[in-house]
Amino acid sequence: MSPRKKLLIVDDDPDFVEAIASILQTADYETEAAYNPKDGLAALQSKHYDLLLLDIMMGRGAEGIMIARKLRKDPRLSQIPVLIITGIREQIAFLFPGQAVHPHFVPVDELVEKPVEPELLLEKVRTLLEAAEARKAPERKRGAA
Amino acid sequence: MITRPSFSQEVANLLYAAEGSPLLVCMQCGTCSSTCPAAPFMDHSPRAIIAMIAADLKEEVLASNAFWYCASCYSCTVRCPRGINIADMMYGLKRYSLWRNQYPQGLIGPDFSRRFARMIVRTGKSFEPALAPAFIFHAGLRGLLGEMRTALALFLKGRLPLIPSRVKRAKNFRRMLSRIIPLARPA
Repeated sequence: MSPRKKLLIVDDDPDFVEAIASILQTADYETEAAYNPKDGLAALQSKHYDLLLLDIMMGRGAEGIMIARKLRKDPRLSQIPVLIITGIREQIAFLFPGQAVHPHFVPVDELVEKPVEPELLLEKVRTLLEAAEARKAPERKRGAA
Repeated sequence: MITRPSFSQEVANLLYAAEGSPLLVCMQCGTCSSTCPAAPFMDHSPRAIIAMIAADLKEEVLASNAFWYCASCYSCTVRCPRGINIADMMYGLKRYSLWRNQYPQGLIGPDFSRRFARMIVRTGKSFEPALAPAFIFHAGLRGLLGEMRTALALFLKGRLPLIPSRVKRAKNFRRMLSRIIPLARPA
């Protein structure tokens, strides 16, 4: 049996973090949280996580993007699957009506909007983790050969 | 195990990148409130807002009009003997309440902020004659007459354009904004 997957939530809203952490814990995921972009990035650089759940609007503005851009540039972190969970559509729709929101800042990411349905959240997390495992498998085989 | 942050920690997280000292070093001297030109219009002075944050009075802070009346003159910030960036705190609280859609009804600030941002995205410039009409009746007939007098004086001095202008290459400007605001493709 594979070890429990470790997930990091970077979001400044404690209510939301509490809600999604409890959903993820019921599905036997291990969760940690960072409440500002600086702590989030520090956690990503110092520990190993299997998946990142990322909010966009934090601190001075759309700082989730800052984290995503840094992840993209870091060869060690660029393969972490990222699930962007954001309520940004309201802001975007107001400023840029009709524009698509999903930014695709990292090679592997998915976007769900707040408020998120528990089933949808778990499904997206499972899909992203399975895809990450599938990507690792050929690498492991190459390493063994 | 996740430890839930208190409201004062939430505000500290919001202001993690702000220059100056953390809010909790405030010694409640009241210099910010006595120097603030907008304090007479606020339901709680800047000093009181800091004390309320330190006491984790989240609902009371969000129900306050204080940060919406802040004119961002930075008098409080330059005079704070503890080096707290109080004006940044006011901006932070505006962001906090806008992102959560939690602000008192009837305030001009939130609506104005959104209209202003939309105008800047569209044209790259502020055009007061288009912004003002939505709010001109808020202060009653006397307020309206006062605004008209100010507008006339500005117009006679050539400081109130009647035709809106745009920045050159507004499309490039919008593309630049789309680097900051997460969009799937350039606007």
